[in-house]
Amino acid sequence: MANFLVFAETRGAELRKVAGEAVSVARRLADATGGGEVHALVAGPSGVGQKAETLGRFGADVVLVVEHVALTTFAREAIAETVAQRANSASYRAIVLGFSAQGRDLGPRLAAKLDAPLVSDVTDVEITGDSLTVKHPAYANKVIVTLTVSGAPAIVSVRPSAFTATESPRAARLEPLAPAVDPTAGRVKVVQVIEGARGRPDLADAPVIVAGGRGLKAPENFKLVEDLADAFGNAAVGATRAVTDEGWRPHADQIGQTGRQVSPQLYVAVGISGAIQHLAGMRSSKTIVAINKDREAPIFKVADYGIVGDVLEVVPALTQAVREAKKGH
Amino acid sequence: MSAQNVVFLFVLTIAFGLFSLNVQRLVSYMRLGLPENRSDHHWARLANVARVGIAQTKILREPIAGFMHATIFWGFIVLTLGTIEIFLQGVFNGFSYERILWHPVYALYAVSQDVFAVLVLAAVAFAFYRRLVLHPRRLEGDRIEHLDAYVILGLIAGLMITLLLTNALLSVLDPSAVGPEKFISRALGRPFENISVRSARTAQLTFWWAHVFLVLIFLNYLPYSKHLHVVTSLINVYFSNTSWKAEEAVMRPMDLEADTDTFGAADVEQLTWKNLLDGYSCTECGRCTAACPANLTGKVLSPRKIVVNTRQRLMERGPVLTRETMAFFGADLVHGEGHAAAASLGAANGAGHRLLDGYITEEELWQCTSCRACVQECPVSIDQLDIINQMRRHLVLSESRFPAEVQPAFEALERNGAPWAFDPGDRARWADGMSIPTMADLAERGERPDVLFWVGCMGSFDDRAKKITVAFARILQACGIRFAILGQEEHCHGDPARRMGNEYLYQMLAKDTIDTLNRYAVTTVVTSCPHCFHQIGNEFPQLGGNYEVIHHSTYIERLLQLGLVPLGTEDGKRLTVAYHDSCYLGRYNDVYEAPRETLRRALPVVNLVEAPRSRDRGLCCGAGGGRMWMEERQGKRINIERTEELLATGAETIAVACPFCLTMMSDGVKAKQSSVPVVDVAELVASRLDIA
Amino acid sequence: MKIAVCIKRTPDSETRFRIGASGSAIDEGGVKFDMDDFASYAVEVALQLKEKTGPGEVVAIALGPDNVQETLRKAMSMGVDRGIQLKADAVPFDGLAIAKALAAELEAGAFDLIFFGKHAFDTGSGVVGTATAELLDLPCVTAASKLEIANGKGTARRELEGAAEMVEFSLPAVVTIDEGIARPRYPSLKGIMAAKKKPLEAKPAQLGTPRVAVKGMALPPDRPPGRIIGEGSAAVSELVKLLQTEAKVL
Repeated sequence: MANFLVFAETRGAELRKVAGEAVSVARRLADATGGGEVHALVAGPSGVGQKAETLGRFGADVVLVVEHVALTTFAREAIAETVAQRANSASYRAIVLGFSAQGRDLGPRLAAKLDAPLVSDVTDVEITGDSLTVKHPAYANKVIVTLTVSGAPAIVSVRPSAFTATESPRAARLEPLAPAVDPTAGRVKVVQVIEGARGRPDLADAPVIVAGGRGLKAPENFKLVEDLADAFGNAAVGATRAVTDEGWRPHADQIGQTGRQVSPQLYVAVGISGAIQHLAGMRSSKTIVAINKDREAPIFKVADYGIVGDVLEVVPALTQAVREAKKGH
Repeated sequence: MSAQNVVFLFVLTIAFGLFSLNVQRLVSYMRLGLPENRSDHHWARLANVARVGIAQTKILREPIAGFMHATIFWGFIVLTLGTIEIFLQGVFNGFSYERILWHPVYALYAVSQDVFAVLVLAAVAFAFYRRLVLHPRRLEGDRIEHLDAYVILGLIAGLMITLLLTNALLSVLDPSAVGPEKFISRALGRPFENISVRSARTAQLTFWWAHVFLVLIFLNYLPYSKHLHVVTSLINVYFSNTSWKAEEAVMRPMDLEADTDTFGAADVEQLTWKNLLDGYSCTECGRCTAACPANLTGKVLSPRKIVVNTRQRLMERGPVLTRETMAFFGADLVHGEGHAAAASLGAANGAGHRLLDGYITEEELWQCTSCRACVQECPVSIDQLDIINQMRRHLVLSESRFPAEVQPAFEALERNGAPWAFDPGDRARWADGMSIPTMADLAERGERPDVLFWVGCMGSFDDRAKKITVAFARILQACGIRFAILGQEEHCHGDPARRMGNEYLYQMLAKDTIDTLNRYAVTTVVTSCPHCFHQIGNEFPQLGGNYEVIHHSTYIERLLQLGLVPLGTEDGKRLTVAYHDSCYLGRYNDVYEAPRETLRRALPVVNLVEAPRSRDRGLCCGAGGGRMWMEERQGKRINIERTEELLATGAETIAVACPFCLTMMSDGVKAKQSSVPVVDVAELVASRLDIA
Repeated sequence: MKIAVCIKRTPDSETRFRIGASGSAIDEGGVKFDMDDFASYAVEVALQLKEKTGPGEVVAIALGPDNVQETLRKAMSMGVDRGIQLKADAVPFDGLAIAKALAAELEAGAFDLIFFGKHAFDTGSGVVGTATAELLDLPCVTAASKLEIANGKGTARRELEGAAEMVEFSLPAVVTIDEGIARPRYPSLKGIMAAKKKPLEAKPAQLGTPRVAVKGMALPPDRPPGRIIGEGSAAVSELVKLLQTEAKVL
């Protein structure tokens, strides 16, 4: 029987979706190794503990609450030290966290502090006996690598949305935990948090991109693209050169050979024919959806899913459907 | 010998002395350029001088202005004989050719003097009219440029008038000295018949000396004027490489092993003496700029400016480098194309002031599509493109300066062997299901094909261009041609890199390609891309690769001629087609008829219409010179300009023979919201294949 | 300023990979290798900083067999002053093991700044940079998308999900570089020639024991050829379902 530690990530006082996913993974691993405990560590400003009780839903037995006003922003050094000291004081088979902006920073710190092996961006994990086996999409998602991790604790950073947060409800005990070091004394200080410029992420790191082309017919219709992006919540808006040349969108939005090269998880091409220069900018996207009224358009050859139809009609319908699907995230 | 003779000799000596000092000075500046051998192909060069120079073939491309100039030029040659006679008169009183020539020859000579004097005068009058009234756009220069032109025209007019009047008054003084052949002079003399002998003598002497002085002033004005071309043009045509086929249209070879600090040209001493001679020979006529697709769509690039700036900079730099001490032979008249930097003579040797950036900007250099229209038009065989290419090489190889959007193309060429980020494994996908053997396949069986079909990157990866590839392959198969492709062993030969100045990347790719071709002992290649055609056929020899390369339009024409292509005979609908000449097929390689002939033979009833600018005047599609990978940031889009022209012909179909032209014209047609299809000649032929 | 940049030699990102005979490595036949993209952003940032702050030195460090020397030369052709190869027969997948070797080398270097790429194209793990910083006990900014250095202090921007944070720190520090900060310069021929003469030192790497090992590699199940799932807005619900269940991006 082994215990598992989870770093349950928050933004301010709110738990992030990946926190539940990480707890779920830990729960599954715990169950597979004789039903040990899952301890979820939550760090945030006052009040975060109450929110964190919900982690019991996903299988957390204990919620370690680290509350401090300075933890409204990501006090990386303090959190890393706190988690590390906790890991040193108890015995965990593995530490699970999300491979998010926070997790990318935290994971390696923990690995170094604990001299513990770390695997990142994991999409599958199994424990058999002494070894932990994980799957990780490497080479920009072109090759799935199976890795074995030896040693305990092993640090597992899971890819957001790769695991579903499944229910395994129990009443989680809340245990307050003091930060191991002063969170205000970190050497990397957060001076400002900027909520998404225009409310949207940059093309470079947006997991979802909705891009519009000449098929939209008029610049006003780009609103449909923006609405769809808003419906996804974490989407950026892009454009083809045809459209930026016309002045419908700024040049910074142009995706293509002479513009931005992107590879999001999901690329929705709206009214885009798929000229070679545009494809050069987005064809390594993980999933491509194309909406175009021309069945012969080259974009359909690279798209995973295509809808043939008038974008002015299909896109609003899609926006509505995505909003519904996103409810409850 | 009289006092007059002595004075004359004295004046002559001074004048010629000054002139020769200037010549020496100009030659010494020219020698600051890098050496190169232009003493080969002696007979071909002489033939060019005869054709382009004496026969004025390029000048006459513009019929009216051309005839005007040809008149002045031929007149100048003919009248020079007279000038020599006059100089001899200055030394030997009363000298005349009549004494030494057989009479009919002398008569011919005498008539020619009079007639040409009047013709030249008339041409000059027309020239004034053109400049002052007609204002052709290409003659719009700055104040000094105009002044220079008026001075020259004035001097020539003065020369003609003084010549005629000298003879007119001589005919009054001594009728026997001016024979009936000089009928014009005699006619001009009549009004003066009744003046006193003394006045006539004074007047005649005055006009004679005036004529001599005008000649000598003219001579010494030349080094300070764009009219220097009078001295240098024939020499320039002789040494030019721009007037014979394909050999000429290749980019200058470059030795990358050379132990040098700098690559390409950033200043005049890094250009060759020939480039500098080009600078001397430019008359600023502007025909190059008028034909330049960049300039005529509102961009700053002007081929004329490139050449004028080269000369201006040489005049600035020459004295410094030759440590010239004769200060009064100061810099040339500085003017042209309104370039402000040229005016800052004081900054002549400020740190960093040089031809590149100081005169010619990066922006101009990248706007060039290498269409060669400028080279085609230049009446004195200047190679504007050569200067542009050498400066691009400097930008890229020495300073890594090029438009940001070009970098992905360079990187993709280096990593993937294609100028776009495509998976090399996809290269031969177009051939799926067509049972086309690769060279490797055949080699394994110990076989060789009759011809290698070089597909090119556009034809391999671009969805639209792949259709051309498939069409041509189907034609070859229908004709039973034994051909093969390189498949995944094919990669870019580096031409885009070369055009954009990246000679290093180019040579890497080209040498590797030559290795592959040689490994398979390839002798004959057919390709559907004019850039591949030009590169492999004409430029590979520089690196040791010699192959016979045929463009697909020529190949198809041959197949049609031999009756090998199975064409369906029905469907006699008349199709109006406008064929767009590809620069690399046309101006670079003289292939104008083959694609047209292909269309005529393949389409039963075709009405071929020509755009106003076609064949060697064809307007570029805008993609050449690496511009396919660059943004057009100024003025009107070149492809739109060309598309409008083609659509205005009323054609129902636009035919091309190049995948880049296809892309540019298709984009243009879409932008004009027209539904006129743009197709490659191979596609048109393939659509008529009659195969079971 | 004394700046170090740790770089990696990785396959070209456009390659269509095949799995090698061993089943636990890619088939390198025909694969082009070059400096990792993020590492080249890091090199560019380092060079720009050196150009801005005057006299100084940029050192590139790469771990691996002799073929990484080509990558170090590439860095030098961009303008890096010298290179260090930490010799190892193979580059382990275990980021912490690599971090230990790098930390051992960087320890005595007295660098004002140490740059890494945010992650390497091949592993995509993003471990080495931040772990090395931790081992050296230096402040670390992970995945900076903007960076300003002045007077011994730094400001950086980090992209979060749908937001961004601005952080401040003092030098010496470690920064891992995200894309978007700078476009790596294209080496001029002049730079390529000069790089051949710059110093490149090779020494044995003090690798930690790798505890993460590759058990196998596989290509992802073939992307089914794109399919048109329907016409008009009627197809929307099917699309959403597929995005949720099949593509798992919703």
